[in-house]
Amino acid sequence: MRLFGRNAANDVLHPLRQIRLFSSLNARELAVVQALRHERRYLAGEVVFDEGDDGEAIYAIVSGEVEILQADGERQTRLALLGPGEVFGELALLDQAPRAAQARAHSDCLLVVFFRADFMSLLETHPKIASKIALALARHLGGRLRQANAGVRQAGHL
Amino acid sequence: MRRLQPSGAGPLAWCGILLVTAVTLCIFQQMLWLVLPFLFGLIAYYFLYPPMQRLIFAGFSQEAAANITVGVFALLLAVCCALMLPWFAAHAVSAQETGLRYLQGGLSLLDQTLRALEAQSRFMRDARVADAVSSHIAAAGAGFAQDRLPALVMSVAAWLPSVMLAPFLAYFFLRDGRRFQRFLARAVPNAYFERTLYLLYEVDRTTRAYFQGLIKLTVLDALCLAAGLWLIGLSSPLLLGLITAVLAWVPYVGSILGCALVVMVAATDFPGSPSIAYASVGLFVLVRLLDDFVFMPLTIGRSLKMHPLITVLMIFVGGAVAGVAGLLLVLPVLGVVMVIGETVSIVASDPRLHARHAHARRLRLRSVTRDLD
Repeated sequence: MRLFGRNAANDVLHPLRQIRLFSSLNARELAVVQALRHERRYLAGEVVFDEGDDGEAIYAIVSGEVEILQADGERQTRLALLGPGEVFGELALLDQAPRAAQARAHSDCLLVVFFRADFMSLLETHPKIASKIALALARHLGGRLRQANAGVRQAGHL
Repeated sequence: MRRLQPSGAGPLAWCGILLVTAVTLCIFQQMLWLVLPFLFGLIAYYFLYPPMQRLIFAGFSQEAAANITVGVFALLLAVCCALMLPWFAAHAVSAQETGLRYLQGGLSLLDQTLRALEAQSRFMRDARVADAVSSHIAAAGAGFAQDRLPALVMSVAAWLPSVMLAPFLAYFFLRDGRRFQRFLARAVPNAYFERTLYLLYEVDRTTRAYFQGLIKLTVLDALCLAAGLWLIGLSSPLLLGLITAVLAWVPYVGSILGCALVVMVAATDFPGSPSIAYASVGLFVLVRLLDDFVFMPLTIGRSLKMHPLITVLMIFVGGAVAGVAGLLLVLPVLGVVMVIGETVSIVASDPRLHARHAHARRLRLRSVTRDLD
């Protein structure tokens, strides 16, 4: 019975384990994060959020793909195509600035969503978990910054 | 740039908010048997919420923290009841006598005051105000005892079982509140999802700030009144301060009742010196002023972020449409309706959100009818 319970708990936590932001959390910590999540299903082509929207939540992809698009006059430029395990809308956690780009489902996808206020309360109630996530988020943002710098340098050479 | 902060509600939305508040109060008055346990449950929930958060902070799960918090609270309550039961048993018989004694003390003070005024004013002496008031009170008292008291006692007895629901409701609010929020959010289409999360958060924040503010205000009021009554020399100052502070939950009517209670006790404890009763009234007025200008803005005032004119206006509207229940409920109901109304009006006036929702519906229809063409 106990073994069954453990397996059931592992199954429930499995989608969260895939998300890079939570890769350093153990099962007990994941269970805390699990209680805060919302699950949403989007169809291919459906808008997740628009550029200029207020950022109130961070999204992580469990399955499917999401593209990040930015308006460039009449046409839209794809900034990134994100797959399972990746997160987007993460700037909403750091400030209350409007969304910098549009997110749109590239294929049918399952997303887990965390509301900013829930994440902020995590800082008070579970600072250890929050600090692990913050570190992962800092690494993630550092990676994005390096990518952006590399892009600028490449453009400069061209 | 669209902003979520509810600053975009126009005059039409505000009329709607005030109308919905009045209608809600009317409905609530018709189902007080359910609303009051909910209200007491909410007060208990917000009272127990901080200790539960501390347990979660210490590493307990939400469910375990709720169980421990409510368990400890119930145990403390049971111990208090067990300790006070002998006292109640000893004083139950004399309770009616004590009540009548205090009532008599208050009436004597009123009579003395009116006769003193008659001695000063010829107009009042000619009108025989003291005799007229005494006979009116005697008639009202006899009528009340014969006509209304049995019905009042019966209705209080009928209310008790539903009030007993409050602790259970508080327990389930503590344990399943977050789950319920997620359940509500799941029912919302994707286009409105983030706004709904924000709305649920704001409703929770507003009600929590209001009820926690109310609890803080009650403690501050009770302590100030108790200190003042102790300095004056009245008996049971802490109990009297607490009862008066709780009565003040009902705007205006509660304050007047509390003042009358304090004056009755002062007039009975010191029958020969009306100055003590007048000092109690002075103390009461001072604490009310402190409450209105210092404590209230520091506690409840911050939570509702409402213009004082609207607050006062709605208190009158609440009293007019739903009586004492309306006075008690009008501010929390207005706070919640205001948050919902402002957010809904912003969402309703956002064509992009409607377009996104319509697009999502078309996509869903296409996906389920793909093989039917």
